[in-house]
Parts: sequence; structure tokens; C-alpha cells
Amino acid sequence: MKSSVVLLLVALVGLGHPAPAFAYLKFGFRLADRTIDVRWPAGPIRYFVNDRDIPGVSAGDFRSAITRAAATWQAVPGTSLAFEDQGMTAAPPGGLDGRNTLGFLDRPDLDRVLGATSLLLDSATGALVEADVFLNTRFQWSVSPQGAAGFVDVESIVLHELGHLIGLGHSAIGETERTASGGRRVLGSGAVMFPIALTPGATSDRVLQADDIAAVTDLYGVDPARASTGSIRGRVVKNGRGVFGAHVVAFNPVTGTLIGGFTLSADGEFVLAGLQAGPHVVRVEPLDDADVESFLSGEVDVDFGVAYAPRLVVAPRGGSSAAIEIPVDPK
Amino acid sequence: MSAVLALLVAVVPSAAQEVDEAPGLRAHHVSVSGGVQLVGGYDIGDATAVLRGNAVGPSASPFTLFSAGTSVEAVTGGETRVGYALTRSVSVEVGFGYSRPSLTTRITADEESAAVTLDAERLAQYVVDVSLQWQPPRPVIAGRLRPFVTGGGGYLRQLYRERTLVETGRIYFAGGGVRYWLRGGDGARRSIGLRGDVRAQWRTGGVEFENRRRVAPVVAVHLFAEL
Repeated sequence: MKSSVVLLLVALVGLGHPAPAFAYLKFGFRLADRTIDVRWPAGPIRYFVNDRDIPGVSAGDFRSAITRAAATWQAVPGTSLAFEDQGMTAAPPGGLDGRNTLGFLDRPDLDRVLGATSLLLDSATGALVEADVFLNTRFQWSVSPQGAAGFVDVESIVLHELGHLIGLGHSAIGETERTASGGRRVLGSGAVMFPIALTPGATSDRVLQADDIAAVTDLYGVDPARASTGSIRGRVVKNGRGVFGAHVVAFNPVTGTLIGGFTLSADGEFVLAGLQAGPHVVRVEPLDDADVESFLSGEVDVDFGVAYAPRLVVAPRGGSSAAIEIPVDPK
Repeated sequence: MSAVLALLVAVVPSAAQEVDEAPGLRAHHVSVSGGVQLVGGYDIGDATAVLRGNAVGPSASPFTLFSAGTSVEAVTGGETRVGYALTRSVSVEVGFGYSRPSLTTRITADEESAAVTLDAERLAQYVVDVSLQWQPPRPVIAGRLRPFVTGGGGYLRQLYRERTLVETGRIYFAGGGVRYWLRGGDGARRSIGLRGDVRAQWRTGGVEFENRRRVAPVVAVHLFAEL
């Protein structure tokens, strides 16, 4: 039963300029006393590809890149995620037509936004109804297998936008530096879902990272996959009070994987799910490597320094750690 | 010449009698020992949290977020061993050990934080092993002190705090020690004594971050009794 629909817009930023967004690791919203995950109901996600060619990228090239990116998400083991290509369409993305459409749009007004995903969902159940993805023709695009300097890689950006399309928000695992133009340059990224893209010509974001895999497993994982992973929960506190919007990262020293999340309540509570069972180093940092609005809405506290959980934290197989408390100090 | 032979004949029975009366294991008897052991510390791995680098093409130099080096600290624990003497020189033993070693992790190379050492994470560690022990048939140390050599292997089980996760592995060891009989050991009576071992212990698996074999020294002191 569809009581109402909500439209969300999430943008991938090329050069780190603020863009309207409402996101975190998984999209979700509060309804009464519970948080509802935004996700597709069971069954394949059917999509159409806009038939527009742009310089250097034909509609066929674009469709092939989408096929590869969809296959990358689908290949995550232990999930029920599936995509189904419905063919080409003349309809551009963005219209409320009941179809999921991916295509290029001319958006010179969004001069730092490479692409964006709009989501239409049932606000009573969280079930996604429609999603459209556009890539901005203001930028130069490439589908070169090795990447082309100065050209943004289509497959990498589509992989990111498909992450939004399936219900994932942005990950904050990444480090950036300010550029002379006021934007940000990525120094390192720990997730395809990091909100700022790698430099034009980079193609390494055609491959998912551990944080992306944990997120999709959390959202679409089948029971055996969930049973083999664990979670860590706890609070981040400053002067005895909870910190909202702290970025919490768990590092598994055995696998070398980094998986992140956020404190999502005024009490500073967090849960990191989809972790491989074992000990983790847990690190907390403020959301200062991208615009806060790229991740969370609300009063995010960024006035504290990096801190670590007092000891190694064990994610048990198929369960959760005891609640831990991580104190942070004001800067 | 005949005088020399007579002397030898006289000496040999005397030496044989001394061997029989020297402290030693009693064949086909069980011995039980218990005591403490000190297990040395060892590193279990350095791991670096890295981010995907940013450069044109499919790969770039990774960006280091921080490094974490972890070690298992030296620990004192308890050990019990039950042996069965196959002969006066050779025995087979089953051992059980328990200890609570600590994991210590040091964080370095974080550009946004000073180096920090995390609080110790206590493990519960259980070891069950089987070993062979050989004791020279003749005393090589005067008095009631007898050396032995030993080697064996076993099963390692380590549990994290709150028993949230179990790691298992194997141990192998070789070493030696001495027994000192406080009472008995003459082959006719039940006996008790002290025993000290020094072993090199190799371990694979268990709590280990780099899937490598680690070696640590073990020193044990036991009180033993032959039943």
C-alpha cells in the first residue's frame, strides 16, 4: 500500500563543491520510532538506457559500461541483488515515468556535479519505486579501458550512482586536501561510494572496496552471508555527551579492510555491520574530508580530533560486540 | 694382567648396581606434574590501513591512513602434564596449559593523531599437547638430578574477551630440562620431585594477523609425582 512517495537526490561531486544531498551509509528515514531502510523489493531491478550519444561516448558504449557496473554490484557474494537491462529509450532520465533510466543530461548549472541519482520511494515501507541516474555533459567522458587523462571514467561514476540507485548513501572513508580553487582533491579513497570522485582518467573505482561490499551485504544480504559476518556497536562521546555525525571506521588487521559508518543519534550511537569476524581497530574522526551535507542532515559535530577505541574490538561471527564507548576531545 | 681383570670384574657389578639405584622413571608407571610456565611474547603482525590512491589509470600508490602493530605479551600460566613411562628412559606425556595472554596494539603513522598504544585485550588460551621424553639411562649429572629432552605438538585454542570469538591453531615444541627427585626414584618406591623445562615453541594459527609461524620461549617449573 503506497501512502506517499518521497524524492531524494544524491550527487557525486567532481571537485568537492556543496550539492544537495541526504545520505548516509544506507538511505533511511525515521518513521515513528523506527528507522526504515530504503531498498528495492525482491526481484531484479529493471532499467532503461537513454539513447543519446555524447562526444567520445556512444549510447552503446554507455550501455556497455552500465552493464559492467551492474555486474560488479551483482557479483558481490551472498546478496540477492540483480539488475535487468530493458533496452534503450528516447526518454531522458529524471521524469516520473515509472521507469528507471540512466543517461546523459546537460546540466551546466551543476558545474561541479559529475552525476546524480534521484530516488522515488514509498515513505511507508521504504520500498524504492523509481530511480533515475544522469551524468553531466558539462564534463568530458571516456570509456577507454585504461582511462584517459582529463576524461572522467563512465564506468566508475556509473558504479557509484548505481550504489545510490540500490539504496546506498555516501561513505566517508577517504582523505582529501583543499585545492586552490576551493574544492577538494582526493588523496585516498576507501570506498566507491566516497562522495568526491578520483581525478579524471582514474579507473580504479571500477572495483568495489570492502566498505561498499559491507554496505550492499547489509542491505541485500541473504542469511548465510549475514551469519558469517558480525557487527560492532557503541557510542562516541565528548565531555560525557553523545556526538552526532562522527565518522567511525573499523579496520581489520587480518584482512586489511576498512568499513565505516556514522553515529546516527544524539546519543552518539553507531553500528558497523557486515564486518568479517575478528578483532578490529576502531578509529573515529570528524566529517571533515567532504561537505557534511554529502552525508547527513542535521547538526553534525566536527569539533573533535581523531581518536581510537581504547582497545581492539572483536566482531563476533553472526552477532554484535558488546557496546563500546569511544571518548573524543574537542579540538 | 690377571690382577687387572680381577679389578674390572669387581668394578662392573658395582657400576650396574649404581645405575639401578640412580633416580629415574619407573617403567610402566604413570607420573603427574603440575606447575607454572612462562611463555615469552611475540609479534603477531603489522598491518597498515590504506586507501585507494588517486591517479590516472587503473592503479595508484595507496594512501596510508595508519599502521597497527600487534604483539602477544609474555604471560605466566598453569600447566599440568600426565606421563606414562614406556621404559626407564622413554615416556609419553599429555599436557594441558591455560594462560591469559594480552594483545597489545600500537597505532602509528596516522597524520591526524599521535602514536597511541591501545589497552591490552586479554585472551583465554588453552593448549593440549602430546610429547615424547627421553632421559639418558645413566646419570650424566651427579646425585638426584637427571636431564631429559622432549619434543611434541598439540592444539591451541584462544578466545577473545567475553568469549565472542575463538581462534584455533597448532603448536610444536622441542627442548629439554632436568628432574630432581626429592624422594624416591630408586625404582622401588613412589617418588616426588621438581622438574624444570625450557622449550622453543612454534605456533601456527590462533590469533595471528599475518598467517605466519611464530616462535616463543617457554620456561616451566613443575612439582611431579610418580604413582
